[in-house]
Amino acid sequence: MFNFTKLVVAGALLLSVSTPALAAKDLVVGVPDNLTGLDPHNVNDTLSQSASRLILQGLFGFDKDMKLVPVLAESYEANPDATEFTIRLRKNVKFHDGTPFNAQAVKINFERLANPENRLSRASLVNMVSQFTVVDDSTVKLTLKEPFGAMINNLAHPGAMIHSPAAIEKYGKEVNRNPVGTGPYKFVSWQADTLKVAKNENYWKQGLPKVDSVTLRSVPENGSRLAMLQAGEAQFIYPLPPEMMSVAEKSPKLDIISKPSIVTWYVAMNNMKKPFNDLRVRQALNYAVDKRAYAKIVYNGNMDPMDSVVPPGLPFYVKQGEWPYDVAKAKELLKEAGYPDGFETEIFAGNSTTSIRAMQFLQQQLAQVNVKLKVTPLEAGVAAQKIWSVSKPEDTTVQLYYGGWSASTGDTDWQLRPLLFGESFPPKMFNVAYFSNPEADAGIKAGIATADNEKRAEAYKKAQEAAWKNAPWIYLGVERLLAAKSKSLSGAYYLPDRGILLEEADLN
Amino acid sequence: MFRYLINRLLGILPVLLLVSVLVFAFVHLLPGDPARLVAGQDATDRDIAAVRAALGLDRPLWEQYVTYVSNILHGDFGISLKTRRAVSEEIGERFFPTFWLTLISMAWATLFGLVIGVSSAVRRGRWQDHGGMLVAVSGISLPSFWLGLLLIDWFSVRLGWFPTSGYGTLAHFVLPSITLGVGVAAVMARFTRSSFIEIAREDYIRTARAKGAFERFVVWKHVLRNALIPIITMVGLQFGFLLGGSIVVETVFAWPGLGRLLVDSVSYRDYPVIQAEILLFSLEFILINLIVDVLYALVNPEIRYR
Repeated sequence: MFNFTKLVVAGALLLSVSTPALAAKDLVVGVPDNLTGLDPHNVNDTLSQSASRLILQGLFGFDKDMKLVPVLAESYEANPDATEFTIRLRKNVKFHDGTPFNAQAVKINFERLANPENRLSRASLVNMVSQFTVVDDSTVKLTLKEPFGAMINNLAHPGAMIHSPAAIEKYGKEVNRNPVGTGPYKFVSWQADTLKVAKNENYWKQGLPKVDSVTLRSVPENGSRLAMLQAGEAQFIYPLPPEMMSVAEKSPKLDIISKPSIVTWYVAMNNMKKPFNDLRVRQALNYAVDKRAYAKIVYNGNMDPMDSVVPPGLPFYVKQGEWPYDVAKAKELLKEAGYPDGFETEIFAGNSTTSIRAMQFLQQQLAQVNVKLKVTPLEAGVAAQKIWSVSKPEDTTVQLYYGGWSASTGDTDWQLRPLLFGESFPPKMFNVAYFSNPEADAGIKAGIATADNEKRAEAYKKAQEAAWKNAPWIYLGVERLLAAKSKSLSGAYYLPDRGILLEEADLN
Repeated sequence: MFRYLINRLLGILPVLLLVSVLVFAFVHLLPGDPARLVAGQDATDRDIAAVRAALGLDRPLWEQYVTYVSNILHGDFGISLKTRRAVSEEIGERFFPTFWLTLISMAWATLFGLVIGVSSAVRRGRWQDHGGMLVAVSGISLPSFWLGLLLIDWFSVRLGWFPTSGYGTLAHFVLPSITLGVGVAAVMARFTRSSFIEIAREDYIRTARAKGAFERFVVWKHVLRNALIPIITMVGLQFGFLLGGSIVVETVFAWPGLGRLLVDSVSYRDYPVIQAEILLFSLEFILINLIVDVLYALVNPEIRYR
């Protein structure tokens, strides 16, 4: 009898000890949208990129602070003109299907991406390369048609991640639904709005990953997504809308993640059109808007001030100073410019609740200096036509445009060149301020013509100074990103470009 | 009856052809260039041109339509511009979640609606009537968005009885079907009540009562049977609407259904998906109408089709 009791107790103890160790660690993440695809060479949204980053990896990548780090590469050398990049690869890495990762695999992937016949939407990341050369099994050389100083940043973009060459061969375009990479997790299934991936037991980083599976579930409604976390069905959700912060804060089981992003918010003023072709008007509007109130009203305080055209999270950022709120000065400048009684104008933006609230806020602010603002939210398709497809600057109807931008390559070039370079007017790129300034242009050009970081820093310093003082935008702020997670989850990171990093995730 | 059915089924084809022309025209009239949306926020002009050519959007419209229809006749509904998957797969994956949710919601809503409607009509002016109509008016007035979130908060977050959202087990159906069905049940209750009261005033009912038939017999045999005709019409209509997928319920409960797919497709200008979904909805409506017509004949043998 005594022995029997002992046995039962011992058994119970054993069970209670072994159960947590045996329980599978399944991480569920609530995301806002459906994935569009899992072939990073051919997707454009950050969410799909984050999802494929669970499975695939690039030669370079970003750590949790958006600093560029080598991933499948070990090191690289560039010539001074930024036309030749020699990259040494990590050895003894295998894809999920057992295919070895080597220089040949890199060549096959990049040639696939660059080939215009494949019509992959991320081709521009590598199409300045004229030749991909396999030097030896673990060395690859890129020869460029023209100098491109941000090459390594382009390779760190999720769009330049590496598929198993065997998978490309086997599935062709269908790698989109059958991704095979070298990443911490292996693809399991993707149906409707749920992606499942499982632990890669042979991952090349020792001791990782720590969870057995990751599930991404798309839950578009903010309230439902938070409920999922509260009910314990998910351990991480993003984004957390600012207005739900107080609800999440009340729960003892949850942590709120709030961190600076590289998402800048601004109003582009059409620098070619009256009255915004006058510097004094552009300055006046910058004085007329209270950016702190904007942060508070539109973003519930989750916004840092913008003190350069480049956000602090990007390399080569140089602080230019803050633009103070000064209504008297704004009125004075408008008077000088010949608008003592103000003027009427129109602002375009997307039709999300936040964008509409932002535009209404601006309407109230500008009314104080007698600028009457007509608020026009545009649905995405209409915006594409009205703003981004206009072929001649003279034909555009844009006067003011409210929008945000995050440089997906994590490099300053992709902040300045698409938005403020004189050759980047729509439809070519996104310079909807139609800003063209010789000094800024020279800086942007010089920055991309070299891989020497000191020279690049110098060039971007000049470009930032020239752009900032010419006030092509009303500088509003740099967004702070919000997410919420269960206290039991560690090692899950929300990146400054709105991506997520789950390689080190663990559940306790 | 059989010839009638054959004729009706054959009649579906020209209707669908007409729908396909209209949808194709409307979809392509929408402002906005899908190539630009597909290519993404930071695509260059060259990327966009490549995408346009890849999607065949650079060819003349009539040519695109002819290709489209001839592909459909071969059972090919095209490739989604957004996910680059076959449209038939995309829709197939989402059809059943919407279908089962509709079926379950309609089943309980119709049953409840009928019971509340009949009891209100029979006990007209008494507490059963007032109570029933109070419930019905509340049901119509509750915004399903609010109701859905409320149910999630009570039954999932606080009590932990049902999952907050998603699709999978039977438990996943409970909250969405309540949210979706409440409005339908309310409409059904009000509709049943008024239709019932109207029929009860007819001469033949008075005759039946005058003949000395039991009240219960009069109600169930004569009144309900005749009142059913407009009710069946209503059920058919509601069923058709719900099969289109409820955007609100599907969004709140992250339900992988057709309604969300349609909204996503419209905002993405995913032409092939929009076209195929509208064709599917038209077909569903036509079939439901046909079924409703057949049910008329079953309920009331006076109605005959030739």
